[in-house]
Amino acid sequence: MYRNTRPGPKRGVALYSYSAEFGFEKTLEDCFEDIHDMGATGVEILANTHIENYPYPTDEWVNYWFSLCDKYQVEPVEYGHWIDLRVLQDRLLTTEEAIERLEQDMRLAHRLGFHVLRTKMSVIDDALNPVENWREIIKGVLPLAEKLELQLCPEIHIPTNLKSQMIQDYVDFIKETGTKCFGLNIDFSVFRTKFSEGEHVDPHFVPNEPEDIIPLLPYIYCCHAKFINMNDDFEETTIPYKEVLLAMKENGYNGYLLSEYEGGDKYDQGYEVGQTLRKHHIMMKNILGY
Amino acid sequence: MEKQVIQSVGFRNIVENGEVTGFQLKIRLPYYRGVYLSQIRPGHLIVDGESFGADEIMWRVNGEDYTYAEMRADCKRHWHPMEPATLIVKKPGGLKQGFHDITYGFCCTHSYMPPFMEALEDPDRPAVIYFREFGENQHHRRLLIV
Repeated sequence: MYRNTRPGPKRGVALYSYSAEFGFEKTLEDCFEDIHDMGATGVEILANTHIENYPYPTDEWVNYWFSLCDKYQVEPVEYGHWIDLRVLQDRLLTTEEAIERLEQDMRLAHRLGFHVLRTKMSVIDDALNPVENWREIIKGVLPLAEKLELQLCPEIHIPTNLKSQMIQDYVDFIKETGTKCFGLNIDFSVFRTKFSEGEHVDPHFVPNEPEDIIPLLPYIYCCHAKFINMNDDFEETTIPYKEVLLAMKENGYNGYLLSEYEGGDKYDQGYEVGQTLRKHHIMMKNILGY
Repeated sequence: MEKQVIQSVGFRNIVENGEVTGFQLKIRLPYYRGVYLSQIRPGHLIVDGESFGADEIMWRVNGEDYTYAEMRADCKRHWHPMEPATLIVKKPGGLKQGFHDITYGFCCTHSYMPPFMEALEDPDRPAVIYFREFGENQHHRRLLIV
């Protein structure tokens, strides 16, 4: 299977970006060809959106998946999924039930050629803190993660700060367990400095400085290269992209930058998110030099 | 599949053993990702002012039929956004020929929304927390029965 072995940050696309068009204007294959057009080499899927018959895809579909990866020279980079402890409305799942469901996703990710999972845990408050038993759940699946060579990564997203206790808790957990199978996915919204007039911003949010990512790099296996506004000069106007990408490149980051566009305007009639993604990739290509 | 949640294809009376026993219609999931059946919070289906509650509507998902009670308990079967579900309603004689005004409301739980925000949602009322990628709760369409 195709794997991009170039050292340094690599360009990829989160298929979530196509959420308004997927299944209507664009098939899965159209998305792969679009990614290939951009010179990007990696893809993130959302398991419950992009896998036919999730969580029980047929072998025929899995073969189709690999045929797309081969045809467009795109590697499976990140498997986006959720641990939903509130999936039943009348009670929380037990730790054991959560582990069983998480292992099902891990096996499926492995079957599709992924090594990194964006593991979103149920949140309990508006500071996006995860459920209290997250350590027990993750510890319970570490043996399988080692066996299948998987890395589970919660996504760190605005309004969280990279210097917050939540991040320290994750880093402490990694150090205590010594595991390489649990890490972080940083969403670049944590670096966002500009907001439009009237836009809701969490009053506790403090934007991170680009260099704040450097001490965390050993634990970061994937990033959501979130972008908000690309202008026609191929600049992102709300996030200091050049500084962030260069800090990562110069400090040895070898993982993927997965373009993620979540602007609500992608649902407007006639909006073409593929063109927005291309602008973003022109910018990243210019900054990285490849 | 149409972008509207209530699909024009699939709206018809159900005939069993020569008798019209009810009607059906298809809906798609307007959410950007799939959900387990237990995450669905169905509201009321209103056809020309006549209201049918969640317990009176059978859902067909991936070819299997579920009552509301069965759906609530089922966190293994999944409803995919690309696969419309069929709502099946018992109504002897079915719907008469001509136009019908249809309103249906439903919403879903989201693991990454704080629980207190989720509790604000009523499937039969417009979404309190509205994101375009989550879709609206209530949907309307005017469709013909032949």
